[in-house]
Amino acid sequence: MTMKILIPVDGSAGANRAVEYVIRNVGWLKEAPQVCLLNVQWKLASGNVKLFINQETINDYYREQGAFALAEARAKLDSAGLAYSYHISIGAPAEAIVQYAQEQQVDQIVMSAHGQDKLSNLLLGSVASKVTHLASVPVLLIK
Amino acid sequence: MLEMLSSTQFWVDVFKIIVIDLLLSGDNAVVIALACRNLPDAQRKKGIMYGVGGAIGLRIVLTFFAVSLLSLPYLKLVGALLLLWIGVKLILPEEEHGEGNIKAETHLLGAVKTIIIADFVMSLDNVLGVAAAANGNTFLLVFGLLISIPLIAWSSQLVLKLIDRFPVIIYAGGALLGYVAGEMLAGDALFKTLLEAQHVLHWLIPAGCALLVLVVGRWLAARKTAKARVIDLLDEQVPSPHDKS
Repeated sequence: MTMKILIPVDGSAGANRAVEYVIRNVGWLKEAPQVCLLNVQWKLASGNVKLFINQETINDYYREQGAFALAEARAKLDSAGLAYSYHISIGAPAEAIVQYAQEQQVDQIVMSAHGQDKLSNLLLGSVASKVTHLASVPVLLIK
Repeated sequence: MLEMLSSTQFWVDVFKIIVIDLLLSGDNAVVIALACRNLPDAQRKKGIMYGVGGAIGLRIVLTFFAVSLLSLPYLKLVGALLLLWIGVKLILPEEEHGEGNIKAETHLLGAVKTIIIADFVMSLDNVLGVAAAANGNTFLLVFGLLISIPLIAWSSQLVLKLIDRFPVIIYAGGALLGYVAGEMLAGDALFKTLLEAQHVLHWLIPAGCALLVLVVGRWLAARKTAKARVIDLLDEQVPSPHDKS
């Protein structure tokens, strides 16, 4: 039985450290884990925007932003030779991470304790702290 | 001027305008960025520049237009009703519009046209809210405009993050819009004699309007089915090189 690990990434150095951590400690496991990368894009385009911009353009934009955030984590996994899947969701980050973890029935979430935006972490709390509250699987926070 | 700065009412109004600007900043920045996406690289910067410039200009013109309209008798009544509706709309969960037949603009003029039309539509609520909160004070009006300009030019996830963390902001914002609408209503010529007789109405009408927005907003929101909040966009597998061999 392979272990399924979800790593939410936002392109920040912290998120990439979480990926490195998993790669470094693959040896702990008997079998190579199944790694799922997830990037969540805030739903910037509300109903009003959809009146003027077609859905295809909006999705292209999310896809581009998501791919950009995923790029470094993917490169690290590629060069480590680990199999992985990657995914882009749109919504509120913590909720989307927890929902995806449930859907995919992952065994563990490995994520950075601090995300992209230092200031909003400070004032509003980090995504990581919200995920630890909501998730039903163990969450490993990387400093 | 200095006298104005030391009054509590002034700072309350400033606060009101900042909140209204933030919550009704619209999605101008998102539209500008997205409308220019399909332009050739060389034109994209130009498109964004024209778009931002046009949006700011439009916002200024609309604001002064709104102010002069609101000084006409009975139009405050109309403005107040509109504001009440804007407040309720803020509380309602967002409706998913069916996909219209909108084609992506691939030339500069088309993109700028999209931006300007979108700006016009999305600025109306903000302009009305700020004009109502400023209540004829030119300094407050200009202040409100200045605050909204960076919000037009730079897309920010700040508001999304704030609402995600403190969902109650939506209700506070709705109540504030209701309150401002009530103040405008009370300021209409129609109620002048009534208000002079009953001073308590000066705060009773705004408070009642704030409550109205909250109740109607909650009621309408409860009737809507909960929407799927997370959307899956992309799923892909990358096999390890060892599997291939």
